[in-house]
Amino acid sequence: MLNNNRRRVSLGLGFGLMLIAMTAPLYMNAYYQSFLLQLFMMVALAQAWNLISGMTGYVSFGHTAFFGVGAYAGALLLLAGFPWWLAVFKGAGIALLLAVPLGFLTLRLRGPYFAIAMLGLNEVGRIIATLWVDLTRGGDGISLAPKLLPSLHSNYFSMLFLALSATLLVAFIHRRRFGLELRAIREDEEAAEMVGVNTTVNKVMAFMLSALIPGAAGAVYAMYTSYIDPSSVFAPALNIQMIVMVLFGGTGTVWGPILGAGIVMFLREMLWAQFPAAHLAALGVLLLIVVLYLPGGIISLFRARQQRARPDARTGAAP
Amino acid sequence: MPSLLSIRGLEVAYGAVQVLFGVNLEVQTGEIVAIIGPNGAGKSTVIKAVVGLAAVQQGQIVFDGREIANLPAHIMPALGIGYVPQGRIVFAQMTVTDNLEMGAFLQKDSVKRRQAVQQVFEQFPRLYERRHQPAGKLSGGEQQMLAIGRALMMNPRLVILDEPSLGLSPKYVDVIFDQLLALKQQGRTLLMVEQNAARALELSDRGYALELGHNRFADSGEKLLANPDVRRMYLGGA
Repeated sequence: MLNNNRRRVSLGLGFGLMLIAMTAPLYMNAYYQSFLLQLFMMVALAQAWNLISGMTGYVSFGHTAFFGVGAYAGALLLLAGFPWWLAVFKGAGIALLLAVPLGFLTLRLRGPYFAIAMLGLNEVGRIIATLWVDLTRGGDGISLAPKLLPSLHSNYFSMLFLALSATLLVAFIHRRRFGLELRAIREDEEAAEMVGVNTTVNKVMAFMLSALIPGAAGAVYAMYTSYIDPSSVFAPALNIQMIVMVLFGGTGTVWGPILGAGIVMFLREMLWAQFPAAHLAALGVLLLIVVLYLPGGIISLFRARQQRARPDARTGAAP
Repeated sequence: MPSLLSIRGLEVAYGAVQVLFGVNLEVQTGEIVAIIGPNGAGKSTVIKAVVGLAAVQQGQIVFDGREIANLPAHIMPALGIGYVPQGRIVFAQMTVTDNLEMGAFLQKDSVKRRQAVQQVFEQFPRLYERRHQPAGKLSGGEQQMLAIGRALMMNPRLVILDEPSLGLSPKYVDVIFDQLLALKQQGRTLLMVEQNAARALELSDRGYALELGHNRFADSGEKLLANPDVRRMYLGGA
């Protein structure tokens, strides 16, 4: 019963938010549209990180590698004359393909070793983008002429689409066997293997899906800002933001990353103007409090209340 | 009748260090077989090789007429081998019920899965009492029951246990050995590695005593217990 109620609340909330997001360009000025676009981007990225790190426990510090690859691929394909949507599509595809060998290599590593390998991967991406001047124009970066670029509306809806698909992907996986397999891997990989989970295939699949989204988001981002350089897209700080938002909202959940991205982006926007220097510190303290006292993230505040409301709904028949 | 499990000339090395030098072992359907031996004899390595957690260099492992050496570990449940690892590895954050359900996650029919959970609860009423608790909150003995229960979920034809009594309180050592006996009486086939050699041999139809990666003695449990050499070398004198 209550489970159904919860699903109804989730669906209602989702539709409500979608309605607001879909109609926002009708009555919001460019500033708010830009803010929402960035929010959508962060939701998409946070969900992608959630998919690999939240669900399997493989903490990635280098998912911006895929964001950077997508950004460069999107920008270069646009310059090569492809329509913007095809450039985005291909950028995402390249990130996905890249994730296959990288997944097989890095996912053998566990714990901090995987985290560091991914951090290194992002650096490798940044260095290649800097040194391969013939292709990437190196540190000068790539400027995209306005006539090539899609409108703000197109970018807005592209990012919205990415945020929505990333969220639906996480929700879908959650309810499937695949989600259960990932959860088993997070809890204990050896035990998962013993009950019949093909851990390697599952991890690489999750890794690929979690690379696809940043790949697409990077390409749209390049078109939105019209200029990219190696350090703006292969940006460890961006990766930290994904992690912060997921931890803040609730790791491994569907709504957590949305909640986390919303709250962090909102607070940052509020604090940024008033306290240019102190706003990051304030956010840091807030995150510390959440992680220490609410290890399940903000979302666990809602969960806890619901669980108290139903003491023992799942009692089965006595043996 | 051919053996359910037949190991011939098994050789395993971890890197440059060879651990097993041609071990032979047979398990018939309906038996309890114990592998005993001092630390470093290679007991656990034998069963790790069987369940795909240690790479086999030489030799054969035939289960139910099929060569299974070097097959990946995640295939074993589907073949009919249930494995209870050393150290009571459970999914600590999941509830007891979810842990058991995970044990049969290859079983796509949810009705059958629930039936299997009920069967385990009948076998281990203690787990039923604790069914909503996270597995990490259980006592060591309860976790061991859960690990055994999880291995039974796919109704395996062979259950392999690595040190089932290791690190348990004396009370729970008794409980676990009683449960293993109950499993045998239900017609299950068990292969176990056990430090507590005397207890294991009392329970077992046959035993294999290993020494530094070689077979040393192989006989019925009773005869091994009565053998003065075995008593001196494996059962701490007396």
